[in-house]
Amino acid sequence: MSKKLTSVLVRTCIGVAALMVAVIVAAVAIGFLSAHGAIDKDRGLLWLVGAIAVTVMVGAMVISVAWMRSIDEAAREAHKAAWFWGGCGGMSVGGVFLILASLPQAETLSIPAWFDGRTDPAAYAATGAFGMMLLMLIGYTVVWAWWWITRLRG
Amino acid sequence: MNNRLKVLRAERDWSQAELADQLGVSRQTVNALETGRYDPSLPLAFKIARVFGQPIESIFTED
Repeated sequence: MSKKLTSVLVRTCIGVAALMVAVIVAAVAIGFLSAHGAIDKDRGLLWLVGAIAVTVMVGAMVISVAWMRSIDEAAREAHKAAWFWGGCGGMSVGGVFLILASLPQAETLSIPAWFDGRTDPAAYAATGAFGMMLLMLIGYTVVWAWWWITRLRG
Repeated sequence: MNNRLKVLRAERDWSQAELADQLGVSRQTVNALETGRYDPSLPLAFKIARVFGQPIESIFTED
């Protein structure tokens, strides 16, 4: 493994560890303050989860940039091909479900309820987004593996 | 695109890992280049030419 890549992995581990510590400290602080009536528990939780979500996603982007800069051009090319072809392929599969979901027969389906029982609009939106992301990720992985397998055969 | 990477490397008795080190790429990338399944970018092609001390057109040829 190259030094650059090792450095990215080490920094990622440090970042994840720092985030976990920050989450624990913030959660304890919110619990303490809400128990003493200083803040509303639900509002505190909303701010905490919002801050975690933003931090994780910004961190993921920062790591992605560092990762892409640390790998060589062929590895970068594999990721680009995987993102385009795998992502589009996954989205195409998701598109079929999207069209099927517009049929009247789909009215009785409560897919979000299969997971945690929620059937509110936010649960539907999240389930749809998660399903599409999952299909794109599967496509990405398949194309990435195919790209390397076909190029490493002697 | 065809290339003479494998021959040139063998002439110098270098392993794929040694060549990869000199080029600043992974061994897998050298393998993909040698099998002709991956065409390098211009900067990498120039680097390869520099490492072998030969002009690009003597290393890479059209199909």
